[in-house]
Amino acid sequence: MGNEAGKPSIITSSLDFLVNWGRTNSLWPFPYGTACCAIEFMSTEVGRYDLSRIGSEYVRFTPRQSDVLLVAGTITYKQAPILKRIYEQMAEPRWVIAMGACASSGGFYDCYCTVPGIDHIIPVDVYIGGCPSRPEAFFDAMFDLQKKIKDESYMKQRAERVKEQIEMIKAKTAEAKANAKAFAQEKVVDIKDFVVEKEQNLVKKAQFWKE
Amino acid sequence: MSAENIFSTLEEKFGAKRETLDKWGVTAVVSGAYLRNVVQFLKDSTEEKFDMLVDIAGIDYLTYPNHEGPRFAVSYAFKSIKTPGARIRLKVLVGEDSLKVPTISDLYANANWYEREVYDQFGIVFEGHPDLRRLLNHVEFVGHPLRKDYPAQKRQWLSTNDYLLPELEKRLETLGYKVIQRSKEVEPNDDEFLEGSVKA
Amino acid sequence: MIVLDKNGEKLNLMPLNVGPSHPATHGCLRFMAAMDGETIVASVEEIGYLHRGFEKMVERGTWQQVVPYTDRLNYCSAIMNNIAYCRAVETMFGIELPERTKVLRVIVNELSRINDHFVCVAAAFQDLGGTTPFMYAFNPREEIMCIWEKLTGARLTNSFARIGGLYRDSYEGFESDVLAALDSTEKALKDLHACLDRNRIFLDRTVGIGKISAEKAISYGWTGPCLRACGVASDLRKDEPYYDYETYDWEVVVGTQGDCNDRLQVRLAEIEESVKIVRQALKRLAPGPVDIVDPRIRVPAHKLAYQDMEGLIGRFKSVYEGIRVPEGEYYSGSECANGELGFTIISDGSGHPYRIKVRPPCLTQFAAFHDLVEGGQLADSMAVLSGLNIIAGELDR
Repeated sequence: MGNEAGKPSIITSSLDFLVNWGRTNSLWPFPYGTACCAIEFMSTEVGRYDLSRIGSEYVRFTPRQSDVLLVAGTITYKQAPILKRIYEQMAEPRWVIAMGACASSGGFYDCYCTVPGIDHIIPVDVYIGGCPSRPEAFFDAMFDLQKKIKDESYMKQRAERVKEQIEMIKAKTAEAKANAKAFAQEKVVDIKDFVVEKEQNLVKKAQFWKE
Repeated sequence: MSAENIFSTLEEKFGAKRETLDKWGVTAVVSGAYLRNVVQFLKDSTEEKFDMLVDIAGIDYLTYPNHEGPRFAVSYAFKSIKTPGARIRLKVLVGEDSLKVPTISDLYANANWYEREVYDQFGIVFEGHPDLRRLLNHVEFVGHPLRKDYPAQKRQWLSTNDYLLPELEKRLETLGYKVIQRSKEVEPNDDEFLEGSVKA
Repeated sequence: MIVLDKNGEKLNLMPLNVGPSHPATHGCLRFMAAMDGETIVASVEEIGYLHRGFEKMVERGTWQQVVPYTDRLNYCSAIMNNIAYCRAVETMFGIELPERTKVLRVIVNELSRINDHFVCVAAAFQDLGGTTPFMYAFNPREEIMCIWEKLTGARLTNSFARIGGLYRDSYEGFESDVLAALDSTEKALKDLHACLDRNRIFLDRTVGIGKISAEKAISYGWTGPCLRACGVASDLRKDEPYYDYETYDWEVVVGTQGDCNDRLQVRLAEIEESVKIVRQALKRLAPGPVDIVDPRIRVPAHKLAYQDMEGLIGRFKSVYEGIRVPEGEYYSGSECANGELGFTIISDGSGHPYRIKVRPPCLTQFAAFHDLVEGGQLADSMAVLSGLNIIAGELDR
């Protein structure tokens, strides 16, 4: 069943198109803004640049409702566990943009306290250069991300997921079978032991009565 | 009373020495034992009433050329709001063997965090400080980064986030509350931490 | 946790963690509050989430290379930090700046202040749930950003000032651009006042919230607009005048209550004063050099480097070896958007800074945070936080 869904057909490719269309045009960002880049992100939101043109004006400050984790600013070692936890709390599908030099590589803070790029902690989809990145660069990154999402196939991913699930189920079944077998064997051994014991008892009893 | 006059009073009363390196203002080098008295004097008895502590900076003289004397120093900057423009600085020299300076956090409220920062960056202990913890670096940090012998690129990962609950309890106690049953998160559960940890 | 209060009554408090990833804590502040219902009983703050090692990094470069790092202290008004740092080093050299540089520095300083205050006020309203003032405040800000782009080449982190001068002279049409930006600033101020002054919701949420007395604020070392909101007329531009600030016609703005509303209104009023200063400074802007002529401090112009042996040597030496600041220790404070930005500079006479300690204005204000929010509601703490204008870059350095 998984293999059939993996092949492109009219229905699946149109469904892909529909899903990707929806996903690309309503990327809700989670601005994990720590430093200068967050101020530039604020500029991106307001009238002059207007982030709502690509459907991303709905900034969500909870990882559970957002699609794009926008890491804007330096991540220090003190902040790293928090960023990781936030990423883990986001629901699939999720993407990450590293905005600015600090988030991408640590920037010019090559120091005891800064993480040299957030890709040491979480996977990143798009990197933006600049210190801080200009709003135009941020838009460019969003377009790149949209392109990336358009190339993704929802059906393919689903097929893979289904495949994985089937494999998992198979593995689980095999495991359960093995468990059951082992358990049965144990039982058999137990019963055998029990029977042997009983027999020995009987023999003992018989001998006793004989005597 | 100008800063020069104040300095001569300090010289008389507390045996302060003039810091020759400060060519642009007045810096008095005082001994740690007299620090609290000097600060109290500046705050209450001078005409200007140096009522604002502007800054506390730690200094490590390890690689300073031709430096003689103790390795560390803590420099205090005061200014007066009452007399605009009046400023004076104090300096306490701290040897590597003792590393102790009396706290002034009961005299100035903001000294609390400044002293924590100096402790964090240089390892200088402020005696009598109510809550001497690291301020800028994380709890698992080993060493004191602004010392000259700490390599700038020696990175230290933090495995988990701290809870701040013990500090909250301390704060409640200072406010006059008495904690009779602690929150169960005070004793952190390792398994729960590892989930969001960067080490896991 | 269960606690006994002073009267021996049992209270069940809930510890609540706010931040560092919370929309109103701007990514880098964190506090833990013990809540009794909606009321904050006790609060503990934690900082250091943006500690980027400014003080360690600057020890590795030359004196001029510190300037880009100072940009990222208070990134809302980057040029102001450049100027504050350069002023500190220039005092150590004993440099007298050319007249045009002084006036230009005053202009960019005050434009930065306008920028910073707009961000603060806009973010405060965004945090309180008002989006419209945010849009109004950012329009003139973007215009000033355009001036920065033309003047310095960067939008936010400009690195405009140099020790002994400026990166470059102003461009043609600078004056008219600044005047246009001032006009739209005044228009935005009018709009903002219309939005806020009689807004019931806004007043309810800010008046009387986060009050602090002047004595306490001084004891906490508050400076800048937050201290002035408590009614203390302390402004380094008047108290220890530099760049001829005393000769301009402007007033120090003070508040009366020391509450959240006062802090924001003082900022808005300061924008007006800054507009006044810039208008006067533009009239004083006379043609002239912007750099001092001393190849040991300020790099000679490109033109000289190609034609003149002295110029070439000067350029080579100041780029490779760096300038040599006289040996000594000095503390210099300048009035920045948030308060007194101080630099404790220790020079060993070599081409590299021995130690530079920053005195961030935010640190003292955030240190008093628990005093402001204890006894108030949780929602008020957000109003207090945004009124203080904590910039994590300079808070943690």
